Amino acid sequence: MSIIYVLIPLAVIIVCIGIAVFFWAVRNNQFDDLERQGYSILFDDDIDSPKQTKESNAVKQTDERN
Amino acid sequence: MSVVIPENGCFHCGLPNTEGERFMVEINHKSYPMCCPGCYAVASAIVDNGLENYYEFRTELAARGDAALDATMSKLAVYDEPELQEEFVFEHGTDKQIQLTVEGITCAACGWLIEKQLAKVTGLKQVSVNVAARRALITWNNDIIKLSGVLQRLSHIGYEALPFQPDEHEASYKKEQKSYLKKLGLAGIMTMQVMMLAFGQYFDVFGNLGAETIAYFNAVSLLLTTPVVLYSGSIFYVSALKAIQARTVNMDVPVTIAIAATYIAGVLAVNNNDGEVYFESICMFVFFLLVSRFLEHRSRHKASELSSNMLKLIPVTALKWDGSDWTSVIAKQLQVNDLVLVKPGESMPIDGIIESGTSTVNESMLTGEFEPVVKMMGDKVYAGTLNQEGSINVKVSSTIKHAVMNQILRLQELALMSKPKIAKVADEVSRYFVIAVLLVSGLTYWYWWSVGNPDAFWITISILVATCPCALGLATPSALTCAMAKLNKLGVLLKRADALEQITTATDIVFDKTGTLTKGEFSLREFAFSDAFVKENVSIRNDKIEKSTEDQSEQDFILALGSFIESRSEHPIAGAFLHDYANYNFSMSAFTVHVGKGISAKVNEFNCHMGSRRFIQAQCQAAEMMYANGTFDGALDDANVVLMINEEIVATFIVTDTVAPEAKALVEKLGRYRLSILSGDEQHNVNKLANELHIANAFGNNTPDGKLKHIKQQQAAGKSLIMLGDGINDAPVLAAADVSIAVGNASDLAKNAADVILLSHRLNALDDLLTMAKKTKSKIKQNIAWALGYNMLVLPFAISGLLSPWQAALGMSLSSIIVVYNSTRLMK
Repeated sequence: MSIIYVLIPLAVIIVCIGIAVFFWAVRNNQFDDLERQGYSILFDDDIDSPKQTKESNAVKQTDERN
Repeated sequence: MSVVIPENGCFHCGLPNTEGERFMVEINHKSYPMCCPGCYAVASAIVDNGLENYYEFRTELAARGDAALDATMSKLAVYDEPELQEEFVFEHGTDKQIQLTVEGITCAACGWLIEKQLAKVTGLKQVSVNVAARRALITWNNDIIKLSGVLQRLSHIGYEALPFQPDEHEASYKKEQKSYLKKLGLAGIMTMQVMMLAFGQYFDVFGNLGAETIAYFNAVSLLLTTPVVLYSGSIFYVSALKAIQARTVNMDVPVTIAIAATYIAGVLAVNNNDGEVYFESICMFVFFLLVSRFLEHRSRHKASELSSNMLKLIPVTALKWDGSDWTSVIAKQLQVNDLVLVKPGESMPIDGIIESGTSTVNESMLTGEFEPVVKMMGDKVYAGTLNQEGSINVKVSSTIKHAVMNQILRLQELALMSKPKIAKVADEVSRYFVIAVLLVSGLTYWYWWSVGNPDAFWITISILVATCPCALGLATPSALTCAMAKLNKLGVLLKRADALEQITTATDIVFDKTGTLTKGEFSLREFAFSDAFVKENVSIRNDKIEKSTEDQSEQDFILALGSFIESRSEHPIAGAFLHDYANYNFSMSAFTVHVGKGISAKVNEFNCHMGSRRFIQAQCQAAEMMYANGTFDGALDDANVVLMINEEIVATFIVTDTVAPEAKALVEKLGRYRLSILSGDEQHNVNKLANELHIANAFGNNTPDGKLKHIKQQQAAGKSLIMLGDGINDAPVLAAADVSIAVGNASDLAKNAADVILLSHRLNALDDLLTMAKKTKSKIKQNIAWALGYNMLVLPFAISGLLSPWQAALGMSLSSIIVVYNSTRLMK
C-alpha cells in the first residue's frame, strides 16, 4: 500500500497542472463561444478556384461523411 | 446538406422565390435559384471568394441579402471619421481594435465564413467571431485599411456589422463571469479528488485502512479542500459580511457558518490526529452552491449582451453647405444657422427651419400621428422625423443637444429612476427562513451540549448543511433562466429576467397605436369605380391573362391602373397600391409629382390625375362638381384618394393605416386584463381603432410627457401596467411602466427603455410571453414548495442526530438537482 504515498502526490500535481491549464483557458476567453469552434474541423482550407477537380473531390468526401 | 431549403425557396435565404430562374448562381457545379438581386450578389461573392463550403455545413439558412447594397455601403464611409471613432475604437499597440455586432449570423458556419473572408484582407491583424453573442472582435492596421473597408467586405457576403453601445455593466459582468467560471472549475475538480479519497474511507475500498493511512488521506484532503474554501467559497463570505454590516441576514450567513465551522473543525482534527473530518461535504456544498450562482449570473450576462447588440451606433450625418459645396458631416458638429440639405427618404439630422423646398414629413415617431405633414418654407422640422418626398434646405435652429428628441431622452432617464421596485418574494422568504435555521441550530447545539452529547457540534453542522437554502436559492434563477432561453427561441428577448415575475401581477395592458396595434403603413381598405369606364377600356389587358369572372377582372384592371400610376410616387400612400400590372399594356409618356397632393400622368391615351380630393378639385372644377353630385354609383364619400381620367372621376379609394392582422385575435385572448390605447394621434382616430378592436379605453392627443403623466396616475391608483410601444415618443412611458415591451420594428430609443423586446414583428409573441410568465411563476412556486418541504422533512432527522454531515450534503445536492430538473421542463 505504500505506493499510494507516491501516487496520490503525483495525482495532486497533475490536478494542479489541470487547474492551471483551466485558469489559462478561462483567462484567454476559450469559453466565450462554445457553439462555433466545434464546427471548424468540418471546413476544408481555402478552395483554389482554378483547381476545380480537387475541389469537387473534397466536396464529395465531405458529402459521404455526412 | 445539413439545412433544408423549402420548395421553391431561395437557395441562400430560403424565402419564397417568385423570380423563377432569373438569378442563378453556380455553387459546387450545380446551379441554384436565388430570390432577389441581394441574395444573388451575396451568394456570388461567397463563391467568388472560394467559400462555397459555407453552403455545405451551415445548419441554418442565411439572412436575406440587401438589395440596396451599394447605397448601404456608400454610407459606411462616415465610420472613418476620427471624431466618431473616439467613442468605440480602441488603440491596440500600433493597431486599432473594435468590437462589432454582426447582424445575419445564423449558425456556426457564418463564423467561419466571416473569418475566412476577412483573413484575406491585407492590413487586418486579427478577427474573432463569437457566434453565441453575434459579435466580432477586429484588429486592423489603420494605415493599410480603413474601418469602412472592413465593414464593406462584410456587407459583400451579407452581414451587416456595426459598432454598438455596450451596456454599462457589461464589462463588470464579463469579469465576474470569468471569476465564477474559475471558482466553479476549481471547486468541481477538487470535489472529484476529495470525493475519491472519501469514498475509499467510506466503503473500505482498500480493505482495512490503518490509522496512519487515514491520517494521510485526511491531510491530503485538507490540502485539496483549502483552495476551495479560501478561493471558491470567498463570494459567500463577502456577501454574508455585507449582509451583517447592513444589519440583516441572507442565505449566505448560515452557509458561511457551516463552511467555516466544518473547515476549522477539520483542520483541528487533522492537527490533533483525532476526530472526524467532512472535507468532501464542504467541497460538494461549495460546488453546488456555485453552480446555482453561476447559472443566475450567466442568464443576466447573456441578456445584457443581446440587448446591447440592439443598440447600434448609427451616426446621424448631414449634408452641410460649406459655401461652395455640400459636404457630409456628423450631425453633432452642426452649429446654429448652418444650412443642411435633406434628401427624400432621409431622416432629419437636426431641428431646424425650412429655407427652401416643400416636402411631406412623417412625424409619427414624435407625435404618433400617422398621416405625413406637409412642410413648406418657414415651417419647423424636428430631428428624427422622416423626410418623404422632396429635397429641402434646412437652417439649423438649435444644436443636437437641445433637439426635441434629446429632450425626450432626458425625460426617459428621469422616468427610469422612478420605476417601481419589485419586492423579491424569494428573498423575503429566505430571510425569515435563515433566521429560523440559525435559531434552531443554536438551540439544538445548546440542548445536546447540555445533555453532554459529544456529537453536538456535528449535529449542528448537519442542520446547517441539510437546511441550506441552496435549492431555495436555485428555485427562482433556474426557472427564469430556462424561461428566458425558451422565450428567446420564440423571438422574445428579455432584458431583465425578473420582468417575468412582474408580468404575472400586472392588471392593465396599455398599447401604443401607430406601429404597435396598426401596421404603421398605408394600405387599401376600400375602393369603388365607374363601371362604364372600365367596361370600355378593360381591353388594354394582355391576352395572356385567363378569362375569369367579369367582376374580378374589372377590379383587377382598376387596381392595376392605380398601382401603375402610383409606382412613380415616393409618397407612402403609394405603398398601398401594390397590385401587379404586368398583365396590362400600360405605358406612361409623361408624369409630374405634386408634393403632398398627388400625381399627374399620361398613361396610353388617358390624362390621369390621382391624389387627394383637393388636388383633383384644383385640377378640374367640373369634375369635382360631378363628383359631388355622384358621377358613378357607389362612389365613396370619405375617399382620400381619387382617380380622375380625362376630366372624369372613375375611381375612389380609401387608404389608411390598417390594423395588424393578428391584433384582433390577440385582444380577444387578453380578456382578463384592463386594456387601453394611449396615443399621440387625434382622439377620433384612436376611438375608431378602439371600437374596431373592442378595447375599452382610448386616450388620444398625448404628448410624450402626457403619456408619462397618464401612466404615473394609473400607477398611483395602485395599478400595475404592461406597456407596449415602438416610437421615440413612447420611450419615457416604456421606462416608467412596470413592464415595458418594445415591438419588433421599434426605434432604438424605445428598445433601450424596454424590459422586453419582441424580435419578430408578430404581436402574437405577447401572448407567448404572458403564458410563459404564468408557467414560470407556477414553476417557481413548485420549486420553492419542494425546497422548503424537503428542508422541513429533513430537519427533525438532523436535530435528532440521525443525519451525519455527509448525508446532509448529499441530500441537499439531490434536492437542488431535482429543482434544476423541474425548471428545465420549461424549455420543452
